[in-house]
Amino acid sequence: MSTTSTAISRELIYQVAYETNKRAAIVVPQDGLAAFGEAWERESKPLAHFILGQILENAKLAVVDARPMCGDTGLPRYYVKLGNEARIDGGVVALERALRQAVADVTQDIQLRSNRVHPLTRRNPGNNTGVFAPNIDYSFEPGGDWIDIIAVHKGGLFGTDYRMLFPADGTDGIKRFLLDNMAEFARRGLSCPPVVVGVGLGGTKDQAMTLSKEAACLRLIGDRHPDPEVAALEEELRRLANQTGFGVMGVGGDTTALDVHVEIAYTHTGGLPIAISQFCTAYRRSVARVFPSGEVEFREDPQWFTPYYRREGIE
Amino acid sequence: MSQGQSREWELTCPLVSDEIEKLAAGDLVYLSGPVYTARDGVYQHMLFDGNEPPIDLRGLTNVSLQSSPAGVEVSPGEFEVASLQATAGFRYAQYMPQLLEQFGVKAVVGKAGMSEQVYQEVFRKHGAVCLTTLGYGLGAIYGRAIKKVLGVYWVKELGISEALWTFEVDRLGPLLVEGDVHGNSFFTQVNDDINRQLSALYDGLKAPVYGRIGEEQKPETELF
Repeated sequence: MSTTSTAISRELIYQVAYETNKRAAIVVPQDGLAAFGEAWERESKPLAHFILGQILENAKLAVVDARPMCGDTGLPRYYVKLGNEARIDGGVVALERALRQAVADVTQDIQLRSNRVHPLTRRNPGNNTGVFAPNIDYSFEPGGDWIDIIAVHKGGLFGTDYRMLFPADGTDGIKRFLLDNMAEFARRGLSCPPVVVGVGLGGTKDQAMTLSKEAACLRLIGDRHPDPEVAALEEELRRLANQTGFGVMGVGGDTTALDVHVEIAYTHTGGLPIAISQFCTAYRRSVARVFPSGEVEFREDPQWFTPYYRREGIE
Repeated sequence: MSQGQSREWELTCPLVSDEIEKLAAGDLVYLSGPVYTARDGVYQHMLFDGNEPPIDLRGLTNVSLQSSPAGVEVSPGEFEVASLQATAGFRYAQYMPQLLEQFGVKAVVGKAGMSEQVYQEVFRKHGAVCLTTLGYGLGAIYGRAIKKVLGVYWVKELGISEALWTFEVDRLGPLLVEGDVHGNSFFTQVNDDINRQLSALYDGLKAPVYGRIGEEQKPETELF
């Protein structure tokens, strides 16, 4: 029994869930700031250039004032990666309770908008929690005795879509779907470009949706898929998205997509399901690793898509 | 910071007609004075269901935001706002004739605006403009402009995210003039240009194996 790791306390999990949630609302991640800065520098259209400057200014002011960087604070959600050896005081039920409590408390303290309502009655509990709210998604990693807690505040209305393509549609079908998606949602800035586009390709329909959201929210801008063919597709789609010319907020400009991330899953031999999610200008994410020693490590890279998570074989 | 070729206007609410008439699609605007919020909940409750507003909105101002702020009740009856952003306005076009006619609204502040047809048929008639916030990334800048929450109404009836908020704002902006009093839409003009290059991107892509629902819409459709 000497190898059994110390349990991570539920209080610590609450504190980290609270802090990541708060940071996600206020602090634009470094890769986002760098990408907005580069887009601002190279933008040739005056109005788009002006708005990109305002986006950078807004990011600064949000931190100075400790106020949410966007007035629509989206739907706070968590991605949790559990090291296989991690133990939690009170188990995963205690972890989920801590995460839900943190969302309710941050909503009040940081003044998030209470966006979560009953879908029919529209009743609003006022704290961004409710039935299946907040979303909590899990993945696992061999060997680790830690827990990664990733808070994401994702917008909710525009930019996400699904389509069942067929194998013969191939890359042209993928490109057509991307163009249709940009034409529908980047137009007039409905999805608040510049966006990070996540593409879920293959799998089952629900996997394609899930992967597209994770691809949009949980990879650093500039990161490329380890499969060279997928990486090449990412580059091609990024160019295509920007060739549309919608630009920041659809006012016309050089940068519509800061990046395109594609995740693949093995799929039915007869189909090519595809989903797209757009992570908007309100690029909101915060990542921390909690160790059994009580140490907490905040970092920029979510490291969600590990080789194990994307594994192909049985092991 | 330079705004490039756009003209900038500093306006005081309630807005006066000769100032509104100067605004052209593509101009930038900063608003100061009283404003109120109205989106799905308020439109339904006040316009469709015919409930009288709890205060004299018409007497307060003629500027309405399609928004609900990131704000909370810090103590009973006392509200604070941290951050502000408008929501996509195209879905509220049906309410505009009544809002402009009955409540005398002269500027609707939303996100991304409405169709040019609505400006031609409704806004022009009332000498009103449609302004848009510049993206979901400027919530802190817009939130800073709120100097005071004057009141929050219909919280119990509509929930806090749909309630009617009244604010005193100071230089709320930059906002873009999307629809002007002549019925011009900034985005319609921009999209005419974009559509010319967009069709070229589709050229050479093979036809879908199966034409399915959702592909019936032409990509060049200006707004859904």
